[in-house]
Amino acid sequence: MGKYLLEIQELKTYFKTKAGRVRAVDGISFSVLPGEKVALVGESGCGKSVTALSIMRLIDQPPGEYANGSIWFDGQDLLELPESALRKIRGGQIGMIFQDPMTCLNPTMTVANQIAEGLKIHLKLSGKQAHQRAISLLEQVGIPDAAARGNAYPHQFSGGMRQRVMIAIALACNPKLLIADEPTTALDVTVQAQILELINGVCSNFGTALILITHDLGVVASMIDRVVVMYAGKVVETAPTEELFTNPRHPYTLGLLASIPRLDEARTDELKTIEGAPPNLLNPPAGCPFMPRCVFARNICRTLPPLDPLAGQEAHLKACWVDVTDPQEQLYAENRRQARLENVKALTKEAAALQTIEEQ
Amino acid sequence: MDVPQQVDLSPGENEPFWELDETPELVQKRRSQGRIIFDRFVRHRGAIVGFFFLTVLFLFCFLGPLFWRLDPDLIPNDVITSRFTAPDAAHPFGTDWIARDELARALAGGRISLLVALTSMAGAIILGVGIGSFAGFYGGIIDNLLMRFTDVYLAVPLYLLLFVLSATFTDGSPKSVVILISIFGWTYAARLVRGEYLAHREREYVLAARAIGAKNLSLMFRHILPNVAGPIIVNATLLIGSNVILESVLSYFGFGIKAPNPSWGNMVADGQGYFDQAPWLVFVPALLIFLTVLSVNIVGDGLRDALDPHMTER
Repeated sequence: MGKYLLEIQELKTYFKTKAGRVRAVDGISFSVLPGEKVALVGESGCGKSVTALSIMRLIDQPPGEYANGSIWFDGQDLLELPESALRKIRGGQIGMIFQDPMTCLNPTMTVANQIAEGLKIHLKLSGKQAHQRAISLLEQVGIPDAAARGNAYPHQFSGGMRQRVMIAIALACNPKLLIADEPTTALDVTVQAQILELINGVCSNFGTALILITHDLGVVASMIDRVVVMYAGKVVETAPTEELFTNPRHPYTLGLLASIPRLDEARTDELKTIEGAPPNLLNPPAGCPFMPRCVFARNICRTLPPLDPLAGQEAHLKACWVDVTDPQEQLYAENRRQARLENVKALTKEAAALQTIEEQ
Repeated sequence: MDVPQQVDLSPGENEPFWELDETPELVQKRRSQGRIIFDRFVRHRGAIVGFFFLTVLFLFCFLGPLFWRLDPDLIPNDVITSRFTAPDAAHPFGTDWIARDELARALAGGRISLLVALTSMAGAIILGVGIGSFAGFYGGIIDNLLMRFTDVYLAVPLYLLLFVLSATFTDGSPKSVVILISIFGWTYAARLVRGEYLAHREREYVLAARAIGAKNLSLMFRHILPNVAGPIIVNATLLIGSNVILESVLSYFGFGIKAPNPSWGNMVADGQGYFDQAPWLVFVPALLIFLTVLSVNIVGDGLRDALDPHMTER
């Protein structure tokens, strides 16, 4: 509580649906130091966005519920605060950048007004002062001719510009923490680099901590201090970036890193994938969620592994019973992988044969 | 091989040098939302005609007395001979059964009818937006209660209710008629607004606004309301038309505006009896009602097209 800006402990966010309770976030814990840049990485549906919204307590309470856990921000538990106190924190202390800038800006308000709104709410600036500061913020995020563009509407901007506007809105009141939920997914590649550079720059300049949610490991490698890997609503591994990329210890992380095609590989090699699909979050199995797809799986994996630091390395935590660096384990895993591939090939052959029979 | 001569493309000394980021063709003409809507409205020919007619009508009714000096209530001394005169130069709409100038009466009646229609529309819209926005935004019990309350109003036959209530509560003055019509006219607007709010509160821009700490009331009226204004404006315009008819029907049956206040409705009622001698006494107010409502509906149509939800245009 003392040294961390944000400390999430055993957060559980469930959604009540007709089919049952969907356990979108199922007991995650991680922390962010002031000024640190953390990435939340994982495939679609692993609970990254729900985590971000939970931190700001923006999940609609009737279908969603905070079943357990606490979110300590600056010495306060955000899950226990009354709504009025939380409203001061949203935008004032924690800013959020959403994924799709086209739908996240109000089409009937000018860009400067949308930025100025946060300023009026949190910094209590007057209309004129807020407008001036909004224009200067627009300049800082790189919108040319900011004074004139400030009175334009969102539909008059391109995608990259809109995302810059969103960044300006999020940073307007100098928050201590910035949560960026896949800020570059909706943009084209050249603009992606610019936006990431912008986020990196402002976070470094203002000392804002950053939680970047992404599924792009390349982005992670370039600007992030620490990575948190999520799977099926749980944290499976967390480590400083260098450490994670050079010394991954969780089978899922291994799979993720292996699936990235590399320039120095032969072009005719098959792309490596992680076979299978994430578990159904309505009824997740007890034990390690990755077990059905894991090539290192053992019987012990039927009980949930705790997220523990590696021997001798406080900063690198993993939730796995197996030591993937052990050559014996690796041999075992390789055999299993081959066996699975054979299996898959046999099944596809069968299916193809069946299809040709049907066609005849 | 002959190397083609290099053409010198740099600007000469006296030529203007285009700034790299602002060549004329690339500078987008910036139109505000309002301007876009206006341009789309103007494309609808019928709407322009209707709008033009309504403007003329309003100007006549409200500024007409400055130019047409005849008093609508004046009964001239030669009433026996000058009653029932057909439309002529002195009286463009003729005179009625006590020789009052019909044009002046039509203008006076128009003033009252239009004023009643407009103010009751304003009252109905304010009530409708107020109730609908709370119902749609908060949902749950509040929505349920407000909508059941609305259903009560919708379930009762409107005209019967108005007849009964106006017989008891009104005194023939425009003010009481306005109040009566507006407390029954808000139900459709409330339903419409509620539906729009239910849809918009799930939108991402509302989530983004919440993420910077906006309060509920601010979300409802500063953020969402401008976005749902389109259907509300259309409904308001059409409500003017239906209020004109509603007021005319009430006055026709003797329940709304009562004599001596003129209104197009009671002018039709009074003129019916003299249809054989002076058909213009019926036609003038009836035609005015018809043309007004028609123009209002066409303008409402044009507005509906102009305020289409897919408003954003490049």
